[in-house]
Amino acid sequence: MSSSLVVDARGLVKVFKGQPAVDQLDLAVPAGARLGLLGPNGAGKTTTLLMLLGVIAPDSGEIDIAGHRLPHGRSKAMEHVGFVAGYLPLPENLTVREALSLFAGFAGIRKPTAIVEEAIETFNLTELADKRNQELSSGQRTLVSITKAILHKPRLLVLDEPTASLDPDMAARVREALLVIHRRDQTALLVTSHNMREVEALCERVILMSRGKIVADGTPAAIATQFAVDDLEGAFLAVAAELREGGAR
Amino acid sequence: MNLVRVGAVIRRHWLILWRSPHRWFEIAFWPVMDVILWGSLGYFIAQENEASRASIPYLLAGLMLFWTLTQVQMTGSTTFMEETWTRNLLNVLTTPVKPLEYLAGTSVFGLAKLFLTLLTLTITTILLYGFDLRAVGWSVIPIVTLLVLNGWALALVVIGLILRFGQSAEILTWGLNYVVLAVSGVFFPVEALPAGLRQIANVLPTTHAFAAARDVLDGNGVPWGRLGISLMGTVVALILATWFGAAMLRLFRSRGFVTRYS
Repeated sequence: MSSSLVVDARGLVKVFKGQPAVDQLDLAVPAGARLGLLGPNGAGKTTTLLMLLGVIAPDSGEIDIAGHRLPHGRSKAMEHVGFVAGYLPLPENLTVREALSLFAGFAGIRKPTAIVEEAIETFNLTELADKRNQELSSGQRTLVSITKAILHKPRLLVLDEPTASLDPDMAARVREALLVIHRRDQTALLVTSHNMREVEALCERVILMSRGKIVADGTPAAIATQFAVDDLEGAFLAVAAELREGGAR
Repeated sequence: MNLVRVGAVIRRHWLILWRSPHRWFEIAFWPVMDVILWGSLGYFIAQENEASRASIPYLLAGLMLFWTLTQVQMTGSTTFMEETWTRNLLNVLTTPVKPLEYLAGTSVFGLAKLFLTLLTLTITTILLYGFDLRAVGWSVIPIVTLLVLNGWALALVVIGLILRFGQSAEILTWGLNYVVLAVSGVFFPVEALPAGLRQIANVLPTTHAFAAARDVLDGNGVPWGRLGISLMGTVVALILATWFGAAMLRLFRSRGFVTRYS
């Protein structure tokens, strides 16, 4: 694979109970890119992400992450990847500082204190640092989740619904934090979201999926043009409508 | 193997233990209750019949060795289950931590818990019944080692079943030990078991480890032959359990069972 690609997946197939969740998917994410993965529920976005993270094994196809082939190179690959899911909690009964220190350890950082303290300062978490995770609001938890995912300065940050259930103000703060990370470390972002405005704000390139296949790939504007609609939301609704009609047939 | 990551796994579970007073029950409370139950039973039997004076050391040594197996197995299983209970499994699986590093961390943590549990048991049995497991002598070391290895093998089987069947398999964490308790002759010789179960007992490595402890208590010296048989069985059990755990992890990844916990 090209060294400029942080993700190079070819011919990915995943079938669950006879139904294809992902069907011959090719996905390349260049270093420092900001890519959105969109599609209606059941399109195969999360399955794709979990295959890229080595948590689900594809039935066929090849995945290279930062030059490491999965599944054997999974651990090495994950040294270059951070993962954030808006729906996942943080470990209970730990303070924010302890949780960050723990995930730094999971990433193999030998002396994490300075890195953790720097991250706490960068993301304005000082007031939260000694609070336990279960005392945090959803937005605060998301910010901490992002922070724990970037302690090891990954080349790729995978975000599954990062702002789900956040109010607009907090969602904007999270997006700003993500762009800060991207600009500072040239971290590639791979984002799934149902918030089209968010994707337009965060991503320079978008892949639209339906029934496990890519149905569109380009800038948000190019995709809107492809579907002859005004914006990304229009394109998304067109794909969802086609899926419904296909299901009805 | 990355020792920093192994250390992080140990720290994670130590913090859970430290912050959760109810988890200390299995270190400092249930073992004491077991000592009172079995120690008093042994004391009663010994009072009734002079020839049964050995019942107290038999029961208490068996109990301490049973807790060795149980604590190691339960810690190995519940540390993994903790990640599923707190929906932290996906967070862990998406870090560079390898399955072997995770198991190494939980095994070391299990040994620390075992040390604390044996400390509780030793103090309680000495104070209440005047029994000290050190009466078994240095041979207690290979016996305990064999039971630790068997505890790890059982934990791998339980984790494998949870990976395959989900939370419904968790009950085995507590149930499987009692199968071993009944069939391995923890407190009594295999000959006391119903005929059909003796065959099963004889192939279990745990049976020979418990029997070795009774041999030593009877003053018959260290039964190296018995310990050798137990070691061979233990190696086979570990190989089979590792194969089973690895196969279930492959199935877990292949069928996408992680979505049960996210």
